[in-house]
Amino acid sequence: MKKRPSDDPALCGQCHEEIAGNFKKSLHYTTAGLKHGVSPRFSPEEAKTFAGKVFPTACNSCHASCGDCHLKSPVISGVSAGLLQRHRFVKRDEGKTCALCHGGRVYPEFTGEYGGTPDVHYQKGMACLDCHSKSESHGDGTAQASRQERKERPSCVKCHPPGKETTEKAKSAHAMHGAKLSCSACHSSGPYRNCYNCHLGKGAEARPGFILGRNPRDPKMVTTLRVIPTVRDTFASAGIRMEKYDALPNYWGTVPHNIKKRTERTRSCDSCHEEKELFLRKEVLLPGGSKANEGLIAVPKSLK
Amino acid sequence: MNLWKRILPVLVLALALPAVSSALDLPRIVSADWLEKNGSDPAIRIVDIRKPEEYKAGHVPNAINLFYGSWAVKRNNLDNQLPEDEDLADLVKSAGIDKATAVVVVGKVDTTTDQVNATRVAWTLRYAGVAQVGVLDGGFNKWSADKKPESTDAGKVEAAKGKMSPNRQFLASKADVTAKLGKVILVDTRLPEFFFGIAKIPIVAREGRIPQSVNLPSAWIFTKEGAFKSREDLEAMAAGVVGKDKTAEIITFCDTGRLCAGGWYVLSEVLGYQNVKLYDGSTQEWAADANAPMVKYSWK
Repeated sequence: MKKRPSDDPALCGQCHEEIAGNFKKSLHYTTAGLKHGVSPRFSPEEAKTFAGKVFPTACNSCHASCGDCHLKSPVISGVSAGLLQRHRFVKRDEGKTCALCHGGRVYPEFTGEYGGTPDVHYQKGMACLDCHSKSESHGDGTAQASRQERKERPSCVKCHPPGKETTEKAKSAHAMHGAKLSCSACHSSGPYRNCYNCHLGKGAEARPGFILGRNPRDPKMVTTLRVIPTVRDTFASAGIRMEKYDALPNYWGTVPHNIKKRTERTRSCDSCHEEKELFLRKEVLLPGGSKANEGLIAVPKSLK
Repeated sequence: MNLWKRILPVLVLALALPAVSSALDLPRIVSADWLEKNGSDPAIRIVDIRKPEEYKAGHVPNAINLFYGSWAVKRNNLDNQLPEDEDLADLVKSAGIDKATAVVVVGKVDTTTDQVNATRVAWTLRYAGVAQVGVLDGGFNKWSADKKPESTDAGKVEAAKGKMSPNRQFLASKADVTAKLGKVILVDTRLPEFFFGIAKIPIVAREGRIPQSVNLPSAWIFTKEGAFKSREDLEAMAAGVVGKDKTAEIITFCDTGRLCAGGWYVLSEVLGYQNVKLYDGSTQEWAADANAPMVKYSWK
C-alpha cells in the first residue's frame, strides 16, 4: 500500500491537470514561505546548510497533499482525524482540513476557542474559503517565495469599501485613521496567540498577547504584530548561528482572525491615545531580540 | 362616518396583531415532535447554536445559525460573559428576533457543556428582552436520531428593527451577591466535588464556594441521553434544594456562568420560580478577589 498516494500531484493530475500543475508550485506544496521567511538571517554558507539539513525535514515535511484537503484530515503530530466523508472526495471541509494545519493560531482564534470572541465572519457562518480564494490553496501556476507575493489575497475593503459606513462615527474614524492603521489594529477583538523561544526539534512556547506597532513590510502603517519565535540559537543544533539575525525583526504584521465590529479601540480614543499598554514600546521589546525591533515602535500622541 | 370606516379596519388589525403573537404558547422544553409540527410558523425563530460547520452539514428546517460563541464572550478576563448591550442587540436583531418572537434554541447534547449551552443562550435571549424562549429537548442529536427532516439550506432572515431593552432582573453582579449573602438562596450548580472544595478548574483562583450556598448540579437535570429529566423529577429536585416557595429570591452560579444557566432555566422558565437571577461572573470572578469569602470542606 502506498503511503499518501496523492503526495505526488501527478496522480490527481491525470484528471485534474491544470489544478495539479498549479499546486506543484503552490505555497501549500513547496512551503517556500517558511524558507524565505527566515533566510535573510543567514549568511550564504548558513543558507546552504539550512536548505540541505533543516528545510527538508523540519519545514517541508508538513506540506499538504491533495488528499489532505479533499479526502482525509491532515496528519498533525502523527495523528489524523481520519476520512472526511467515508471514501468520498469532498470539495471543502475547512473545519476538518484547514483547521488542523492552521489550528495553532488562526482557526481557534477564528472560532473563539482560543479564549476570546469568535471572529464576526465565523459568527455569520463564513469559513476559510469564503475569503481565501481557491487559487490561494491551489496556487496560480507561478512559484512564489511567500504569500506576500500573491496578487489575489483577502482584503477587508473588497467587501467593506470605504465610504459605505452606516454611521457618522465609523465614517469619520475610518477617514481619520485609514492611511495610518490597518483594519485589524482597531477591529481585532483581543489577545491572540504568540509563540516564543523556538528551538529546532523542541518547539516553542505560546501565550496570548496583543501588540500594536509599525508593520515591518510597510512602516507607515501601524498594525497588529505577532511575535516570530525565532531566537538567536533556534538553529544552533544544526550548526547555524544566524550571522545576520538582526536583519529581520522579531515581529511581523498579522491579521488576527478574531475580528469584531466594536472593540475597546473603536469605542474609546483613550484606549490608544492615552493608555499605551497595547503598543510596542522600548521597555517591552523582547530581551536579547533583534536590533530591527526598535524600528517598529510607534506610540500615538496624547489628545489632551 | 367616512373617517370611522377608514379607522375601523386599522383598529381591528391593531387589536388582532398582539392576539396573533400572543396566541402562540411556546413550551419551554420543546419536543422534536412539537417543533416538527410548528417549526414553519412565522412567529417562531429557530436558532441553531452549533458550529457553522455542523449547521451546514444538516439542521432543523428554517433554523438559522448563530453559534454559541456569539452569545457568550470573554470580557474583562472572564469567560462566558454577556456581550455588550449594543453588540447583543445587533446579534438578536440580525436573527430577525424582536421582543415578541418566540425563539427555539437548538444545540447539541454530547456533553454537559453542550447541554447547558442552549440554556445559556436562552438566558441571554431572555436578558435581551425576548418574552418566549424554548430549548429543543435532546438537541439536534435527538432530532436526527428521530429521523426528523433535515435541511442544508442556509436560513436567511431580514434583520429586526426596533429597540431591545435588556431585562436586568435576570442578571446578578458580584455586588448583588455580596449585598444579598444570607438573604437569598444561592445555588451552586457545579458538581459536588467543586461545591465541597476538593476540585477546581484552572481558571478559578481558589477551591470552594460562595458561603451559604446550596448545591443543585446542572449536570443532574439531564438524562444520560442529554434530554431534560421529567418535570416531576425536576420539580422534586428543586423543592428538595431551594424549597417550594416560587417567590423566593434565588441566584444561580457556577464557575463561569455557563453551567448555572441550566439551573436558572429549569427554575425560572420550566418550573416557574419567579425571581431567579444568574451570577454571570460566578466563581471565576468571586474567587479572584482574595477578600471575597469562600467556604470549603463542609456541606453546609
